[in-house]
Order: sequence, then C-alpha cells, then structure tokens
Amino acid sequence: MIKVNNSEAGYAEAGSRSPISCREQNMSRTRRVAVGALLTAMATVLMYLEIPLPFMPAFLKYDLSEVPILIAAFAFGPLTAIVIELLKNLIMLAISNSTMGIGQLANFAAGVAFAGSAGLVYRYLKSRKGALISMLIGTIVLSVTTPLLNYYVFLELYARFMGFSTEAIIGMTQAVNQFVVDKRTLIVFAFVPFNLFKGLTVSLITFIVYKPISRLIHGNNCEV
Amino acid sequence: MLKDISIGRYYDAESTLHRMDPRVKLILFAVYMTGVFMISKPEGILASFIVVLGLVVLSRIPFRVIIRSVRPIIFLMLFVFVINLLTMRDGRTILRFWIVRITDYGLERASVMTLRLFLLIVSTTLLLSLTTTPLKMADGLESLFAPLKKIRVPVHEMAMMMSIALRFIPTLVEETDKIMKAQASRGAEYDTGNIFVRAKGYASVLVPLFVSAFKRAEELAIAMEARCYRGGEGRTKLNPLKMRTSDYLWLVLLGIIAFVPVIVEILLEIG
Repeated sequence: MIKVNNSEAGYAEAGSRSPISCREQNMSRTRRVAVGALLTAMATVLMYLEIPLPFMPAFLKYDLSEVPILIAAFAFGPLTAIVIELLKNLIMLAISNSTMGIGQLANFAAGVAFAGSAGLVYRYLKSRKGALISMLIGTIVLSVTTPLLNYYVFLELYARFMGFSTEAIIGMTQAVNQFVVDKRTLIVFAFVPFNLFKGLTVSLITFIVYKPISRLIHGNNCEV
Repeated sequence: MLKDISIGRYYDAESTLHRMDPRVKLILFAVYMTGVFMISKPEGILASFIVVLGLVVLSRIPFRVIIRSVRPIIFLMLFVFVINLLTMRDGRTILRFWIVRITDYGLERASVMTLRLFLLIVSTTLLLSLTTTPLKMADGLESLFAPLKKIRVPVHEMAMMMSIALRFIPTLVEETDKIMKAQASRGAEYDTGNIFVRAKGYASVLVPLFVSAFKRAEELAIAMEARCYRGGEGRTKLNPLKMRTSDYLWLVLLGIIAFVPVIVEILLEIG
C-alpha cells in the first residue's frame, strides 16, 4: 500500500468521516460492496468519455475506464477487479448493445488481462515500487494477449456477425496509418502499439491519481 | 457526449412485458440474441422484424420512445451499412463510379447486417431497459445466477453492486460533467497539448471524481450498515420474484417465436 501522510493529502473536507469504519469485520464487507459499486459506476461513466487517438482507426476505442478498475485491483485484489470489469461490460451491454456484445467481450478480456495481472503481481509486491512493477507487467500482458485474441478471435467474430471483413478493417487503419498493409502488420503496427499506449497511459494516470485518494480507499487509514 | 447515456430509461406502462418476470425477459433476451445471430437472409430478417413488432405491441411503448432509444447508434448503423456495401465484391454490379463498385449482393448483405443490428438493439432496449427497472433486472440476474453461489461466486454481492452502480451512474455523469467544466475553466486541457498535458488534465478530473465517489460509497456503507445489511444469507426481499403460470407460458411461447425466423430460413434452404 502506498502510504500517504494524512496532512499532505490535501483533501481536508473529504477526511471528515465517521470514526466507525474499521471497528467491525462486517463493515469492511459492506464497504467493499459499496466502494466496488461506485467504482463500477465510475468505470462505466469513464467508458463514455472516449478519447480519439491519432494514427489509430476509430474502432480502437481509448478510454480511462480501466483506471478505477486498476485501483480496485490494488485496493481489493484481482478478483474484485475482474468482477467490476464484468459488471461494467454487462451494464454497457444493457445500455447500448451496439456491437452485438463482441466489443464488450473484447473489452472484458483486455481488462482481465490488464487489471487481473497487475492486481496479482501487486498482491506480492505491496509497495510503491511494486505498484509500478505490477502496472508495467499488466501493460505487457495486455499488449501480448489482446493482439493475439484479436488476431484469432475478435476479428473473426466481427467479420462474421457485423460484416466488418478484416480487409475492410485493414483498409480503414491504412487510411490513418500507412504501415498497415495486411493482417499481421495490423497487429504489429496498430493493435500492439495501441495496447502499449493504453496500458502505459492508464498506468501513468492511475499513479498520479492513486496518491491523493489512497487514504480514502480504506477509510480512516485502517487496512481492510 | 456524456448526455447520450440512456441508462435506466425505464418507460412506465401497464403491459404484458412490464409485468413479466425479469428472469423470463433475461432468458428471452439470450434466446432472441442467439436467434438473431443465426439468421442471415432477408426473409429471416423480415420474420424477425415481425417478431420484434409483436414485442413492441406487447410492451405498449409508443414508437417514438423506441426510435429515440435507437438514435445514438444511427451513426454506427450507417457505418456498418457503408462498410458492407463497399467491401462486398461478389454479385452483379449495379452501380459503378470512380473506384466504387456496388453489387446487388453487397446491397443485400449491407441491408441484412444493418437491420440485424437494428433489431438486436431494439429488442435489447425493449426487453431490458425500457420495460424492466434496474432493480428488477439486478434481482433477476441474481436469481438466475444463484446456482453459482455453490462454487463460491459472490452472486449476491455482484447483483447488489450492479444495482447500486446503475443508480449512481446518472449522478456521476452529472458530476463528471461539472468537474470537467470546472477544471477546464481553471486551465485543464483534454483535447490539446501533448500527452502529459492531457494526462494531467484527465487526472485533475479523476481525483475529485474519485474523492466524491468514495465519499458517497462511505456514506452508503454506513447507511447500509445502519440498516443491518449483512450480505446475502438470510436477507429477505420486499417484493420477492415469483414465477406465475403466465410467466411460464410466455417463456415457452416467446421462446419458440424467437426461433421462427431461424426456422423460416431453414425451410427456405430445404424448399
């Protein structure tokens, strides 16, 4: 856990909470549900704030919804992160089923690879450095697994159920990124850099954000 | 952009679909989705269209409400149409100009794909968001996945988290919007500047957002605790889900009807 001194966290008004947070075991369980739920809501909201990227085709969606999930992975462990990832995608599926669930499935797989592996590593390296290492490993796992899954599974699914043939996807990507000429270069010059970028920026933002809020996560500085 | 979230667009009405048990609707949704995935011919799409039209009648929701729920994905539908139209090379050429060649088969594929997407979205909103309150939906999911409790999956907690999340999404949307404007007025940049400037801009939004989310979670946890929330075991409900005879009948009837388009296609193949 990244320890932050109370006085330097700078959100004084948020610190005025009731002092009962950590007396009971049961409280921690209820808190877990409540905090997990709010993080799910946040992840879903952030998924809507899509940020367009240069050199990347429009269908590669970049958003910050993994930030709350990564924080859940650090605070509660990888399983909670996976649960939140699942709930986020279920909610997205119910709100706008615009890719027949394929996009949600891909997002879920990517999130599990990223937050799951980062949470797992952090479990054994609970320090500031450990957090950095775990996020780096998460990024690497993300940029290895998702391009492979895209290559073997999701491109196939899109072609079958949405009629987005892989050639069309390559063509769209080629329009913004001239290195992409076939399926393999699509993976190497679009999917891998995209996921590397996503992993690194999400890690960077999580790292910036974690320090001021870490005190709030467990309530009154007690470890849950 | 954030305003597009049409969550919990529950449309209150007195209808068969509204009264139906949420579990039945969830199962039917899965069945219908499988059915839609299996059709690929214009005739199947037509049959599917009639089925969805039947659902609309059953739900007693006015057409304009349904059209409104489809509006956010019109762009995507156009996109699917154009991609399919331009990339399909098989079939007879019906139009040719410059480098574009449109074939009759391409036109058919594009229409089928687009309409299929349309049908899927209408049926999703019809069966789930428009006729089922988020609370009922979470209840239905919890009850459907209850067997997983045996292998220690925290089904109750997940359903609880989902219903809380659904309730707080509109609140957080409003808050995100407010914070983004507030930070932009203080000079935070989201769309301009290099990556570090942008990351800092987003971090300046995320920190207050997290703080407020955690505060709400804290208050919520205390409120739940004050009402003796102790997780799933032994918890009773005010309105427990109960399957009535009519629910079973609708499940069987609509379940069969959902596969009519698939059957139509198979018959066409044989005949």
